[in-house]
Amino acid sequence: MTVINALNLTNSIPLASLEVGKHFYWYLGPLRVHGQVFLTSWFVIAILVTASILASRNVQRIPSGLQNLMEYVLEFLRDLARNQLGEKEYRPWLPFIGTLFLFIFVSNWSGALLPWKIIEIPNTELAAPTNDINTTVALALLTSLAYFYAGFKKKGLGYFANYVEPIPILLPIKILEDFTKPLSLSFRLFGNILADELVVAVLVFLVPLFIPLPLMALGLFTSAIQALVFATLAGAYIHEAIESHGEEEH
Amino acid sequence: MTYWTILLATKAVEKTAEGGLFDFDATLPLMALQFLVLVALLNAVFYKPLNKSLDDRAEYIRQNLAQAKERKQKSENLAKQYEQELREVRRQAQEIIASAQTEAQGIVAGQIKEAQQGLLAERQKAAAEIEAQKAQAILALEAQAESLSGQIVQKLLANVA
Repeated sequence: MTVINALNLTNSIPLASLEVGKHFYWYLGPLRVHGQVFLTSWFVIAILVTASILASRNVQRIPSGLQNLMEYVLEFLRDLARNQLGEKEYRPWLPFIGTLFLFIFVSNWSGALLPWKIIEIPNTELAAPTNDINTTVALALLTSLAYFYAGFKKKGLGYFANYVEPIPILLPIKILEDFTKPLSLSFRLFGNILADELVVAVLVFLVPLFIPLPLMALGLFTSAIQALVFATLAGAYIHEAIESHGEEEH
Repeated sequence: MTYWTILLATKAVEKTAEGGLFDFDATLPLMALQFLVLVALLNAVFYKPLNKSLDDRAEYIRQNLAQAKERKQKSENLAKQYEQELREVRRQAQEIIASAQTEAQGIVAGQIKEAQQGLLAERQKAAAEIEAQKAQAILALEAQAESLSGQIVQKLLANVA
């Protein structure tokens, strides 16, 4: 059983340990929360807020440094929201869609780039907040709420007409969609990020040097794409809810 | 090798089977709440100020562009006007030159004619003078011839006598 011995040997290297499904629990009265998720999410939030404050603290007409970067980011987000919602409607939804992208993107990349595992916490290890199903489901449910809110705000109860248009036969499918949308959103993000971290971890576990690097690069790419997909889909769902039938442009 | 991968797989399954992977608890609503707070926060410190900055800049650029266009239009108009004036002035100069030339030519021609006429008159005067003197000379000659002939006649008569 030399193989197992070898395995145990590699297992003892701290970089190569796999921790799945273990949580660092905090108890808030009767509530139980995953501490590691909140710790990393606070880190992500701190990055975003700090960068924003530094960028907008002293706004210049000719931007430079961080302001320039953040304006570039904002223009990217505006394009993203505008492509989905259209010129007229995108402004009120820009903060929501843009923050979805930023939060997911920074979370994913923090998981892929930062050596969270160096910081020791009891019972588990730190990872991207999007690595936890609670986070992705929370974001997906917020997206659902957002498009319901958008629809009701725009059309009132007439929003329900969406379910029977263009043909009432699709009613069950449309109702089903309200459940599949958050489900697919959350599981896509969760699955991709978790799988990416697992694959990298397993590969590091097998070959600790160099071989995992291309996969890590791929992980960065996937992470960015997942953030983009989540934000784009959120925009698309909101657009679907507020678009008026009869004058469809697509 | 296969053994190893199987081992890995079972290990992963074991870990998953602990039930922690889909462990929903209060993290979910709290994370949602936290995200909404983040949206509000970023709206205040990121979206609003930088959107304003972008819009202001776009407005500034648009205004400047409009102004520049207006100025360009103006300067182009001025250039056109100047060109027209220049053309007009050139035309006038040409006219003045032409009129001066014709005038000078007229003067030259008049003076030549005058001179020619003066010459002709003088010639005629000279010719008349010559004619007169010729006639006078002829008369004197005739007188002389008469006196000579008289003398001849006297001499002859005297001889005769």
